[in-house]
Amino acid sequence: MDTFSPLKAAPLSRRAGTRDTIEVVLNVNGRNHRLAVDPRVTLLDALREHLGLTGSKKGCDQGQCGACTIHVDGRRVLSCLTLVAMVEGKAVTTIEGLAPEEGGLHPMQQAFLDHDAFQCGYCTPGQIMSAVACVREGLATTDDDIREYMSGNLCRCAAYPNIVEAIKQARAEMEEQP
Amino acid sequence: MNAPTTFDGGMIGRPTPRIDGRLKVTGTACYPSDFPLEDTAYAYLVTSAIARGRIKAIHLEEAQQVEGVLDILTYENTKGKVRKVRAFSGGGYTSTTIMPMDSPKVWHDGQIVAVVVAETYEAAREAAHKVHVEYDERKPKPGFDKRRPQPRQISNPLSSSDPQTGDAETAFQHADVKVEAYYTTPTQHHNPIELFTTTCTWSGDQLTIYEPSQFVHGLKNGVAKQLNMNPEKVRVISPFVGGAFGSKAALTPRTAFVALAAKRLNRPVKLVPTRSQSFDVSTYRAETQHLVKLGADRNGRLTSLHHEGWEVSSRPDNYKVAGTETTSLLYACPNIYTKVHIVHADRNTPGFMRSPAEVPYVYALESAMDELATALGMDPVELRRINDTMVNPIDQKPYSSRALMACYDRAAEAFGWSKRNPEPGSMHDGDWLIGWGCATACYPTNVAPAQARVTLAPNGRARVQTAGHDIGTGAYTAIALTAADRLGVPLENVNVELGDSSLPPAPVAGGSNATASICNAVAMACDEIRERLAQGAVHADGQLAGADPGDLRLSQGKLVAPDGKSEPLKEAIMRLGFGPVEAHAKYTPEIASAPVKLMGHKLIEGGISAMTSGSSVKDHVQYAFGAEFVEVRIHKRTREIRVPRIVGAFAAGRIVSPTTARSQLLGGLIWGVASALHEATEIDERVARYVNDDLAEYLIPVCADIKDVEVIFVPEEDHQVNALGIKGLGELGNVGTNAAVANAVYHATGRRIRDLPIRIEDLL
Ligand code: FES
Ligand code: FES
Repeated sequence: MDTFSPLKAAPLSRRAGTRDTIEVVLNVNGRNHRLAVDPRVTLLDALREHLGLTGSKKGCDQGQCGACTIHVDGRRVLSCLTLVAMVEGKAVTTIEGLAPEEGGLHPMQQAFLDHDAFQCGYCTPGQIMSAVACVREGLATTDDDIREYMSGNLCRCAAYPNIVEAIKQARAEMEEQP
Repeated sequence: MNAPTTFDGGMIGRPTPRIDGRLKVTGTACYPSDFPLEDTAYAYLVTSAIARGRIKAIHLEEAQQVEGVLDILTYENTKGKVRKVRAFSGGGYTSTTIMPMDSPKVWHDGQIVAVVVAETYEAAREAAHKVHVEYDERKPKPGFDKRRPQPRQISNPLSSSDPQTGDAETAFQHADVKVEAYYTTPTQHHNPIELFTTTCTWSGDQLTIYEPSQFVHGLKNGVAKQLNMNPEKVRVISPFVGGAFGSKAALTPRTAFVALAAKRLNRPVKLVPTRSQSFDVSTYRAETQHLVKLGADRNGRLTSLHHEGWEVSSRPDNYKVAGTETTSLLYACPNIYTKVHIVHADRNTPGFMRSPAEVPYVYALESAMDELATALGMDPVELRRINDTMVNPIDQKPYSSRALMACYDRAAEAFGWSKRNPEPGSMHDGDWLIGWGCATACYPTNVAPAQARVTLAPNGRARVQTAGHDIGTGAYTAIALTAADRLGVPLENVNVELGDSSLPPAPVAGGSNATASICNAVAMACDEIRERLAQGAVHADGQLAGADPGDLRLSQGKLVAPDGKSEPLKEAIMRLGFGPVEAHAKYTPEIASAPVKLMGHKLIEGGISAMTSGSSVKDHVQYAFGAEFVEVRIHKRTREIRVPRIVGAFAAGRIVSPTTARSQLLGGLIWGVASALHEATEIDERVARYVNDDLAEYLIPVCADIKDVEVIFVPEEDHQVNALGIKGLGELGNVGTNAAVANAVYHATGRRIRDLPIRIEDLL
């Protein structure tokens, strides 16, 4: 993953007509983006409404569902509870940037596909981002631990049994090739 | 040709990953709020702080001062701009006949009273909080009266008949064994994780609506009627839906306002309501009460069944689910009395929520059946066997198929039911009391007219277009499997387009009808293509010259005769002209009534589904069945309730896409657990307002709440339901589960909890 460098920043995206804006350089999926936004803009809205990265989903906008889960410096973060200004200088990874190569799938994405670990798919980007971090953090050791640590990501379609199976499959692969 | 043939290419029924799965795991599936539109303005709703009364004044000055505010809609500038349209449940389009912002009148808490539009979401939100509304408030009625029973009034003139036969009251009086009890189910909200978003954009007089929808043709035609437009000028785009469960079936009031706002500003306007607002923006499952009286002889045969239900509706609407249609035909019984009453309150109009009628009504009946088994000292499975029926006891119409007892036997065996000690409180594991319970699941097999266009190219690639919907159900995959089967091409060659009102109309993704309705239409279109290719081949001087065209089938990229002679697809297609061959099929259910046969496609083209219910077919009844077994564990001291194990066996005709069907049933079973133990929208009775209106306070299961869930498919063939023999199952899984859990809680503790949800405090 690229390190943060303002020099690589994309052109300024500004939304006119509102009160004082702040300028932020956001590093998302290895690319820098310069934004001038209302200081109240959340990271989730910055991704979705300003950068066109709509893979992260809004299910509650108040930290209760997990659909907006992304990684900041490799750690799970609820992007709806994070102001965009708080992540300047940090590496943000979203579902769009998870796969190791363009067009490929991360083992967790493949495992969700193999186990039909979703129905409507709306919670899925958040589930996958949480699941990847869970495995990396060594928290996905037993089935009960997976269930416990994945309980911050609601799935209204209730794909839970399949999600647990998917995480077990991906865990094996992720441990083989760290 | 009227109905699809029954050739099988071996693809229908094949387990396969979802064909849209890759889009979903990579975050590239485009849900309606994900479409990027240039120059979008943002809308934010202001909703009513009272449940009953009038708006005295709306003060906008402070809101208008917020930088970036573009427009504010209130009844003062929208009055008369949205026309009244008939409700979906009355054969129209809308979720309610309440018309917010058409007058100062307030019908329910959370009703839309203003829409603020600004350059940014942040500015719109700030300004919305600076809109000050003065009300003339009257004391609201929040729901049911405190007394039991509720007043016995029937206020729906269009009421479907309350099924009745014999003399239930006299038979009850003379019954050897009786049970009589009240049961209640709470208000519930669908809470799909995707919010109720709407984005509207105009290009001249053409309106495009991006909104998650279970019925794009209904939405299109409904909005056109509301805004007095030609429906051809409205397009609805909704290729993916982030969960719906009934909440996105009917047209809600918000859409027209977003369209009006976009028109006034002449730029796209996007609305993403908050989670809390979502409790009022769409509909809900109303609370219900039930009086069930069962009488039986000493052998367990039912002699009398009385099921009376009460449901809450809004002041102006007579919405009801009336599940006695189903509970009156579930078991053999000579004397049946049913009645459904509506209790009006100062609430929004309720609506369909996953298995609308069956979840509350079958809960009541299946709980009472368990109580009867206890009273008889009989195994609850045996009680169902003794009262199993192959005809509707009301009118003696036969079931087209009914594998209820086969489901019980398969599920009981997988569960280990024979090891159950029937004595309540007799099974333990350390500090945990163990309870085992079971119940029947059932759902009518509904079918509606549907259309599909199929194109087959010489290179063997197929395109299927139909305005159906994949709300997580697996529709993309089921439709692709059907086309691959009929066209004899690999699954990856099939491209499916759904969720766009410019495609051939398909019915609402509701009532579990979609797979049956749409796959039959797709199969018909494929058969027409096969027929045309076959006619061409037998009349040309190739390999298949002179063969019987009816014998030829498409298989593995070839047109094949029974004797093995064949011709490549490419050749067969090219013979008919240059380029792909295309067919547009209009499927009319075999079971439809004469008027639907005549008018069904006209109706669906106008955005009305014309669904025939499995309980109202002329000469038979058609239902899918299941049997569900649940283990609960209740901590002896804390009374914490866990559900470590669920087994469900289901017979739902032909299973087109087993992978996604299994997920549907898994999800359904977990919904059933939620209905028993988690979900309830609490109402502040003083102000008729929802209290727990967010995802932290409205309980739904999380991963840690669910352990082993097993789904068993019981094979079933039924060609009476429709040509392909498909019974729907999206709503089957969560019927009866709540009763199975409650019955298991009784078995664990000896306590019969009749008011859902069952919480720790009920068991202290
Ligand atoms: S949208 Fe962030 S937790 Fe729900
Ligand atoms: S897949 Fe629909 S919410 Fe999880």
